[in-house]
Amino acid sequence: MAESNSDRFPVVIDGLVKSYRKNAPPAVNLGERVEIGRGELFGIIGPDGAGKTTLFRMLATLVTPDSGTAFIEGTDIRSGYRKIRTLLGYMPGRFSLYPDLSVRENLDFFASVFGKDIDENYSLIGGIYDRLKPFEKRKAGKLSGGMKQKLALCCSLIHSPSVLLLDEPTTGVDPSSRRELWENLAGLKESGMTIIVSTAYMDEADRCDRVAMMKSGRFLTIDSPEDIISKFGKRLLAVRSDEMFRLLRDLRSMDTVSRCYTFGDSHHIVLKQGAGVTAGSIARELTERFSHTGVEVREAEATLEDCYMNLEEK
Amino acid sequence: MSPFRYLFIKEFKQFMSNPFMPMVLVLLPLLLMLLVPLAANMEVREIKLTVVDRDCSALSARLVDRISKSGYFRAGPSCMTYPQAMEKMRKGEADIILEIPYGMEKALESGKDMEIYIAANAVNSTKGSIGGGYLSSIVSDFSAELSGREGHDASVPLKIVPQYRYNPHLDYRLFMVPALMIVVIILVGGFFPTLSIVSEKENGTIEQINVSPVRKRDFILSKVLFYGILGVFAFTLAILIAHFVYGLASHGGLAEIYVGAMIFLVFMAGFGLMISNYSETMLQAVFMMLFFVLIFMLMSGIFTPVSSMETWSQYVTYALPTRYFVNILRAVCLKGSQFSDLAFDYAMLSGFAVVINVLAVVTYRKQR
Repeated sequence: MAESNSDRFPVVIDGLVKSYRKNAPPAVNLGERVEIGRGELFGIIGPDGAGKTTLFRMLATLVTPDSGTAFIEGTDIRSGYRKIRTLLGYMPGRFSLYPDLSVRENLDFFASVFGKDIDENYSLIGGIYDRLKPFEKRKAGKLSGGMKQKLALCCSLIHSPSVLLLDEPTTGVDPSSRRELWENLAGLKESGMTIIVSTAYMDEADRCDRVAMMKSGRFLTIDSPEDIISKFGKRLLAVRSDEMFRLLRDLRSMDTVSRCYTFGDSHHIVLKQGAGVTAGSIARELTERFSHTGVEVREAEATLEDCYMNLEEK
Repeated sequence: MSPFRYLFIKEFKQFMSNPFMPMVLVLLPLLLMLLVPLAANMEVREIKLTVVDRDCSALSARLVDRISKSGYFRAGPSCMTYPQAMEKMRKGEADIILEIPYGMEKALESGKDMEIYIAANAVNSTKGSIGGGYLSSIVSDFSAELSGREGHDASVPLKIVPQYRYNPHLDYRLFMVPALMIVVIILVGGFFPTLSIVSEKENGTIEQINVSPVRKRDFILSKVLFYGILGVFAFTLAILIAHFVYGLASHGGLAEIYVGAMIFLVFMAGFGLMISNYSETMLQAVFMMLFFVLIFMLMSGIFTPVSSMETWSQYVTYALPTRYFVNILRAVCLKGSQFSDLAFDYAMLSGFAVVINVLAVVTYRKQR
């Protein structure tokens, strides 16, 4: 089954379950089978505590699942962990290289850990490592956040893995470094590497081939960002007024509004199914009943973030 | 390159990356061995004595003279009354008060018994009790001499002549130095590898190792071996100081000492590994380590002889590996004992080393 498909699907997740405490709900509780194709950039988004990290740790063979399993290149994570470790690059959310070794020493060490030479796979990391070159002698602990991230990525790529796991790689990294990282990932994807990445930034999720929205240990939807947005299927309005804070409370008190949340410099409201209101009628109600001034209401296009916010409602 | 080799090289680079650690490695045995024996001297000398001489006779003057000649006491100006002397003791100007009663000379001449009163300040209990002991033995010597010479008693009083072997001058330093050599091993061989493993946990680097093909066995072994070598280095430094500064271990016995030290290092490494299995942070590791190390140091005869402990705690010492190692070190350094004399201690120490390392491996496996 999974083995025969392993050429097309380097990662197959099959009903993974893991709970840390007996009486608590499981941290990860995936009922379904998820197949991730070669060269796919697979994103996982979800609130803190959704089980993203636990899922990554299971895939990286750091945590054994209670039940279910997953296959990396056709190898079972429960039994073949020694083989998997040579196939996998894992970059945890926290910086976890040796802070007291220099940039070069870290890279050398992790290359030799995998029995490789830096020159062997330099083409793979070259683009990223060139930016680190001027700091080669600096201690890894003394690098800036973005530089640390680059080094960590280099270290997890140095053995040319076929599957790359990145757990929140851009948390605490400045926007330009974030953009660079995603450009690097796009390049790696071109070379046929399968990448699974979790993120809290919606604009990043947009760059993924497919996105899994995760909550309470489950995948709620798995689809391409466009399909997720097109399946939103509810009417969305953007509302502004001079008193934004009172506006939020007032909007929430209205019968026709099922959900209201801040979105950038305005509030997004999701209208209840079959509520016969228009942008104009909402604006009138806000001005007359709640005496708001400077009211501005317009129809809005759903974004991935809107899908994400409404997911939490379920 | 074999995994073990680059792990070992990595340990070395990490250790050298911060000049603080190599400095600790050299300064720790150096300061411990050079300063502590000089400062922490438990020998009792210069006891401040105040005499309340109510007799003021030739005899009492002879007694006081005798006491001050013994070399242990420094007699201050004598007081006329006991409360005056007590006042001096309160101020810390007197450690011991000797009260000679009125009419002592006369009473002794007429063959009567007299009582001499000794009061010792026991805040410093060693000084108090040992000083009191010295003083009473001097006084009883004196009285025995008196009775012998003046012919009141024909029988020669039996006198105990203590003979201190192997440490003839009762030099406390010779007792201390082997103990400090053990402390060096405990600190370098126990704390260093433990903290190094736990810091990998704290930094999350252990996860990076765990997702790599490196075997845990190689990972742990590289640390144990690296810090083992550092332990031997620090211990060698300590031995050199012991030999050239304190003149210890001049009878040879280096083989005995090093074999003992190696076994003890293996024990400490296994012990440290076990602690690191149970601690997530440096703080936890340090406190747990400290707890056991204090018991090892205070209860196994390192600083105070086992024979002077309570009976129940003497049995406890059999369960402490340090007891055997300190026995080995003292016997070899002070008596020049050989392997055959210390077979039991070596066997027990090895037993502990094996058991703790088995436990360490078992608890390590259970972690995941």
